[in-house]
Amino acid sequence: MVEITIRKRPQTEAVITQRKFFKKTARGKVVKVLRERYLRDDVGCGIESCRECTSSDGELLPAAGDLTHQLFPNGHFILPDTNVFLSQMDLLESDLFRSPIILLQTVLEEVRHRSLPLYNRLKALTKSEDKRIWTFYNEYRSETAIIREEGETPNDRNDRGIRNATAWYNTHISLTHPPIRGQTQAALPTVVLMTEDAANRQKAEQAGISCTPVRKYVEGMKNATQLLDLLSASGSDNIEPTQAASGRQMLYPEYLPSATLIAGVKAGQLHQGHFNPNPYNYLEGSVSVSAFSKAILLVGRENMNRAVQGDVIVVEVFDEKEWKAPADEVIDAETTLKNDDAEDSGEEGDENGEEVMAEESRILRSEAQAAASERQPTGRVVGVIKRNWRAYVCHIDTTSLTSTLTTSLSTQTVFATPVSRLLPRIRLRTRQAPSLLNQKILVTIDRWDTTSRYPEGHFVRTLGQVESKEAEQESLLLEFEVPYRPFGKAILDCLPLEGDQWVVPPKGVGDLSNVWRDREDLRDLIVCSIDPPGCQDIDDALHARLLPNGNIEAGVHIADVSHFVLPDNPMDSEAAARGTTVYLVDNRIDMLPSLLGTNLCSLRPFVERLSFSSIWELTPDADIVNVRFTKSVIKSKAAFTYEEAQIRKDDPHLQDELTQSIRLLNSLAIKLKAKRMAAGALNLASPEVKIHLDSAESSEPIDVEQKELRETNSLVEEFMLLANVSVARKIEESFPQTAVLRRHLPPPKTNFEKLQDILRKTKGLTLDVSSSGALAASLDKCIDATEPAFNTLVRIMATRCMLSAEYFCSGSVARDTFGHYGLASDIYTHFTSPIRRYADVLVHRQLSAAIGFTSLHPSLHSKSHVEKILDVVNRRHRMAQMASRASVEFYVGLALKGRGEASRSRGDGEVREEAFVIRTFRNGVGVFVSKLGIEGLVTFKRDIQFDADNYTITVPGSASAAGSGGDVKISVFDKVVVQIEVEKDKNTQRGKVRMTLIEPVESRAL
Amino acid sequence: MASTSISKAEKSYIQAGLLASPSRRTDGRGLSDFRPISLETGVAPLANGSARLSIGHNPHDGSSGTEVLAAAKLEVENSTDSGRIACSVSCSPSAYPNLSTGALDDFQHDLTTVLNQTLSDRSLHPSNLVILPGKKSWLLNLDIVVLADSGNIYDALFMAARAALWDTKVPRTRSVEYKAKKNESVSKSTVGGSGDMDMDQDTASGLDTRQIISNAIDFELPDYWDEGEVLDGRDRWPLCVTLNLVPPVHYLDALPLEEASTPVRLLLVFSFPSASSPTVQAMRMLGSGELSVAEIKTLVTEGEKYAKEMMTALTFKLKEEDVRWGQKAREKFARR
Repeated sequence: MVEITIRKRPQTEAVITQRKFFKKTARGKVVKVLRERYLRDDVGCGIESCRECTSSDGELLPAAGDLTHQLFPNGHFILPDTNVFLSQMDLLESDLFRSPIILLQTVLEEVRHRSLPLYNRLKALTKSEDKRIWTFYNEYRSETAIIREEGETPNDRNDRGIRNATAWYNTHISLTHPPIRGQTQAALPTVVLMTEDAANRQKAEQAGISCTPVRKYVEGMKNATQLLDLLSASGSDNIEPTQAASGRQMLYPEYLPSATLIAGVKAGQLHQGHFNPNPYNYLEGSVSVSAFSKAILLVGRENMNRAVQGDVIVVEVFDEKEWKAPADEVIDAETTLKNDDAEDSGEEGDENGEEVMAEESRILRSEAQAAASERQPTGRVVGVIKRNWRAYVCHIDTTSLTSTLTTSLSTQTVFATPVSRLLPRIRLRTRQAPSLLNQKILVTIDRWDTTSRYPEGHFVRTLGQVESKEAEQESLLLEFEVPYRPFGKAILDCLPLEGDQWVVPPKGVGDLSNVWRDREDLRDLIVCSIDPPGCQDIDDALHARLLPNGNIEAGVHIADVSHFVLPDNPMDSEAAARGTTVYLVDNRIDMLPSLLGTNLCSLRPFVERLSFSSIWELTPDADIVNVRFTKSVIKSKAAFTYEEAQIRKDDPHLQDELTQSIRLLNSLAIKLKAKRMAAGALNLASPEVKIHLDSAESSEPIDVEQKELRETNSLVEEFMLLANVSVARKIEESFPQTAVLRRHLPPPKTNFEKLQDILRKTKGLTLDVSSSGALAASLDKCIDATEPAFNTLVRIMATRCMLSAEYFCSGSVARDTFGHYGLASDIYTHFTSPIRRYADVLVHRQLSAAIGFTSLHPSLHSKSHVEKILDVVNRRHRMAQMASRASVEFYVGLALKGRGEASRSRGDGEVREEAFVIRTFRNGVGVFVSKLGIEGLVTFKRDIQFDADNYTITVPGSASAAGSGGDVKISVFDKVVVQIEVEKDKNTQRGKVRMTLIEPVESRAL
Repeated sequence: MASTSISKAEKSYIQAGLLASPSRRTDGRGLSDFRPISLETGVAPLANGSARLSIGHNPHDGSSGTEVLAAAKLEVENSTDSGRIACSVSCSPSAYPNLSTGALDDFQHDLTTVLNQTLSDRSLHPSNLVILPGKKSWLLNLDIVVLADSGNIYDALFMAARAALWDTKVPRTRSVEYKAKKNESVSKSTVGGSGDMDMDQDTASGLDTRQIISNAIDFELPDYWDEGEVLDGRDRWPLCVTLNLVPPVHYLDALPLEEASTPVRLLLVFSFPSASSPTVQAMRMLGSGELSVAEIKTLVTEGEKYAKEMMTALTFKLKEEDVRWGQKAREKFARR
């Protein structure tokens, strides 16, 4: 009989085997957690040819360690402590950093506890192939496991554990590598404890453990110069002995501890929100919080207290009598701070610093006086809940360099100016400063001390020469966090095996993979697609035909992406993470691999393609009789551009079926649009321009023109809206809890207050914002007979007052907030572009389940899962829009530059364009050049009269250079002529559009 | 009660034995002798304090003895008072196979009432159950399970309760609050003073009758690995001595058969806030007999004597347990 022994662990061992700790839950309960620990003797050390440890899995560390380091000629391994990982991750991730690393479990757990993003980076690092990292589970090996002493803090306990493990490693190596008789003893490698904590080092040295601070270690490495720059600023404390820390003056108040912040926010005494800096004024920012209808204003450096754009901060609001109005002056950090010195801007007390302070307080005082019409809650930042720091694209500020000799390798402290105006300058120390001039570089912020006026950061990598296409494009993608890496193998493996040879299998017996199951054969329908010129990812096609009963059958056929992108595979997760395809002027960052996007899913003409069709029966008055959805196979008969379709429609000689179907669609679209408008849909405008590229290769822009809209644009748009609305109703009905929908919340009335005021005072017009219909009607009345562009301008400004539309999960919000304000529809979704939007892919899956074609993937039944995906998609969507706008701006800049050069060479002088004044400031005006779709600022150096209440400025007659006599009054909506130049900022090489006023008054002299 | 059915003859035989001189009890003990008691603390790792106690457990002769398991668990509660103690006793049905479900419930309820009324008394209330004054406090749930009963259950309950409470550690908390700093130089422009009444806000004065309300609304655990501090006033937790009266004698630590043949039992619960001055925390008579005041007085004095001895022994053992969990365990770990 088999003998069974139960090896029960005696209760007396509990101290060793059990680890107990408390956890406070989100609901305020305290839970005791118990972890069992089994100590073993066979946790491998991970070093090659170790006689005791047999570990088969994972890559082992080389037996001799790393032999290239100066300080350790006998070879070594490094064993970093937690803080090294927390503060020097960039260094460890560098390709040049190749020392073998022993990662302790204690360290790993502490990193996870302190920072989840860093923990994920560390996990990725341990898995990467070119790194030699061994994770040693020291808490589970009986020799290295420790228990906490009485009165020992958790930190001390962990430090002791790390020291213990280091000591064990060293003895372990000497025991497992005994000298072989007859041979001289080979030198043994050392395991070096890497820590920044001086007290810990001291204790380690007492115990005979070799240890090193990070900087000293890196200095001894082969690639010290490059690697030293990657050191984060927090590591450099001890190498600035000349500056007595006590001599530094506090520039900013300390943050409150985070628990206090949370308590304050809970009690309603503090407010939490995202920090938004003012792009016009670097000394001002705002935070939108739920407690106030207006955003909380933060005025001055001290009150903004080291907040950086996007940080989640906590604000204390001042008493109401201290509330201020937002500034009406343009304050540019570059002009005010140009004399600031990077080397010593850390300490105050020097003349320079005082100068800056005096200047800034002057500016703030003058603002305080100006406080007039509208006060806003004002407050100060008392703490930061979450930093949103990432790598920023920057330029090195030339003037901050002390030596520009490229041979100079001395460390310099320089300023890096981020491309985004919303960010402060970053101070960084580098040895390669001269070689970084004229480069776009990536810089990470490490910390911002109370004693330092600027955040400190470190150099990550260079992107390339300023104004080179590649560098500009990459910097743009980085700046808007667009994931642009090529698709990995796992993703490409999800594509059909046939590659671009894939075709719709023949119907019937040959259909092995059952593609035709439940699919309608619509190959004979006269279907065509209408898209912008050069469009490769055709995701929609249309058809229309008369029915015998006098009604019209119209169909929208959308590429059946969900046939290829199956839920929960690598391609699906990647698409979910990318969220959307990003269109740049000269490039497109795809959401799906291009085989699908531009070939298999693209509804090209004359080939059979799978599609998801929505087919209506409409009365000649465009009322829906019924609608059905079906998976289908189509064969498009033509792919038109908007222009071609328009010409074909207007050509009276053509009477073929295709042309008639376009005419039918067009007549329906006109009626549909009229209905929409009657329901109160808004006709909004955004400044859209089109960049002409010379040729595909050189992609030099030659000119910019405004996009033209044709009847056929509207045709396609109307049918897409119709499809989206019909699909939205269907999926909401089938999946009331998890349907993926899109909504546009009505904007709060206060958003329009300023625009209403401006219109009333300058033009005597009123804007009724009570509903979208009323707004649409009153927008139609905003006409200036002399100026046709005025209406567009008001529409653009009204658009800016609105909220942005968003995807949401139908179960997460109240039913009455589903509506789409702009389209005046009670329900809406995105169904028509699954190739380039991930939300549409989800909608396709839900619709396909709703018609019983497939069953719904379980993840789409989970509200929290859908919400999580849509959060990402919403964010990506926003970022993608910003990225493409920035890309257009960059090309407009290039085009302007080219145009300027051309006109100068012709002797015509600079480029001049008509512009509208859209904002007035104490010292300038904001203008909008509608022809180029760009905004600009004109600032005056001399004093002008500013009337904030009436939105006008008056340039005194005597001051005007022309001297034509009389004061010149400029108010918002006035048409002016500006001269546009593109100039490079001397210091930062940042391209900048500079505008000067030409008419009605010349501003150059002012 | 936990009535063991017993014949009249048996009853008188046992009573005669107890009244004989020298007394003769079935297991040969003297009248004031206890069966051996064994105690272990820290038996429930997920509780904040726990103990297992058995009286008369002897594996050699197969007698199971009385066995109880006590565990104290702390729970955060939103309340305005300074914490609560809630005791409950539940009996394993196997401990009382002769009782029906209803009778077992009644019996449990009786035991719970005695224990809860005594231990949740304000005079014994530990001071460190408050987390945030007036807002949050700990609720201490003391749950005792009777695993086996072979007599003298009350003494066992109180001893186990004392041991578990002695072992209880309260997690250290730190209150979190936000204080608006009024006198800070945030707004330098307003320092000029607005002509209000100048009150010095910082000095504490007896004239100031305003109640100082703390703003703290939440707390945090500064050190989550730490088990916490011991429950305040752990020396005060009382002990119970059951005097079984067969007039004119009384005896301690009755066996079930003896209990069944004893007409009156007197529960005396003593607390020893300091070694010299014991206080009677509770007194209760069980059974159908009668007692005069004079008799009670002498019995209380007697009981105090027994209680003191028990207390000394128990405290000694508990301190030993503390060392076993702390220092000794670490030494053992280091020696490994």
